[in-house]
Amino acid sequence: MSLDDPDGELVRRVGEGDVHAAEALVARKLPRMTALAHRLLGDRTEAEDVAQEVFLRVWKSAASWRPGAARFDTWMHRVAFNLCTDRLRKRREVALPETWDAPDPAPLADAEISAEQQSDAVGRALAELAPRQREAIVLTYYQELPNREAAALMGIGVDALESLLARGRRALKARLEGADE
Amino acid sequence: MSEMDLNRFETLVAAYGATPSRWPEEERAAAEAFARADRRATALLSEADTIDTLLFAHKVAEPSRTLRTMVIEGAPTKRRLKGRAKLWWTGLGLALAGASGMLAGSAATAALEPISANVQLYSPDVPALDYSAEENAL
Repeated sequence: MSLDDPDGELVRRVGEGDVHAAEALVARKLPRMTALAHRLLGDRTEAEDVAQEVFLRVWKSAASWRPGAARFDTWMHRVAFNLCTDRLRKRREVALPETWDAPDPAPLADAEISAEQQSDAVGRALAELAPRQREAIVLTYYQELPNREAAALMGIGVDALESLLARGRRALKARLEGADE
Repeated sequence: MSEMDLNRFETLVAAYGATPSRWPEEERAAAEAFARADRRATALLSEADTIDTLLFAHKVAEPSRTLRTMVIEGAPTKRRLKGRAKLWWTGLGLALAGASGMLAGSAATAALEPISANVQLYSPDVPALDYSAEENAL
């Protein structure tokens, strides 16, 4: 296994049928995969379906996994990202889940706003971003992928990623502060 | 260390925010040096930090216990892998047995049923059909 891949050894053991390794991999990656899908799809149930599908593929591929150009985490992100993209495409337009549609009446600056309300408000603002801006922000900030990996996953160059990030951040701030962009 | 000027620093911070660990590795040292040396960097970092704080206010739920259980239940185990390997060998065995059975069957059939004398095999001596008469009739 590649020394550069922090998951390599774990994946090798999963491929040999080591249940403890599988549990460790789930503990390490399941929250990441559900968080990615949740933020891209805006729906927890769908996110869990995607995460389950990702792991089905992990279990099938673990025995034959060989380190290559991409790390295992990147490969998992690619699988999850593609599954989310397919689901979004099937919605025909990026229709937001009903629970995310209502505009947030309270700006985040309000000191009395709770952490949960803040989270909901940011979630709504994220959901309202242009899809490519949201993808760039989710991959770079929440999933903490290096810029080249995030750009490669999205099929764009680093310059384009930076442009999407900057525009996404500005749009997010404008929405959350109730200001015009 | 890569080149860093106000323009690039502004672009960097607008895209990646105020936390240096999120800046591209190859530009991080230069950007940090620029931030220390140029007073204009402070305002840019402060604005970016506000957006970072907003972004990280967003939390998503942890995966449910049910999902964790279902996912782990699907993981390969030594027993399942052994079962799969056994199934594979069984499948291969059946396929080979089937193939050899077919061969044996064909051979036996060939031995028991000699080719009928009525069956016309290809022979260079058999002339090709002549359609010229039909064509002429059309």
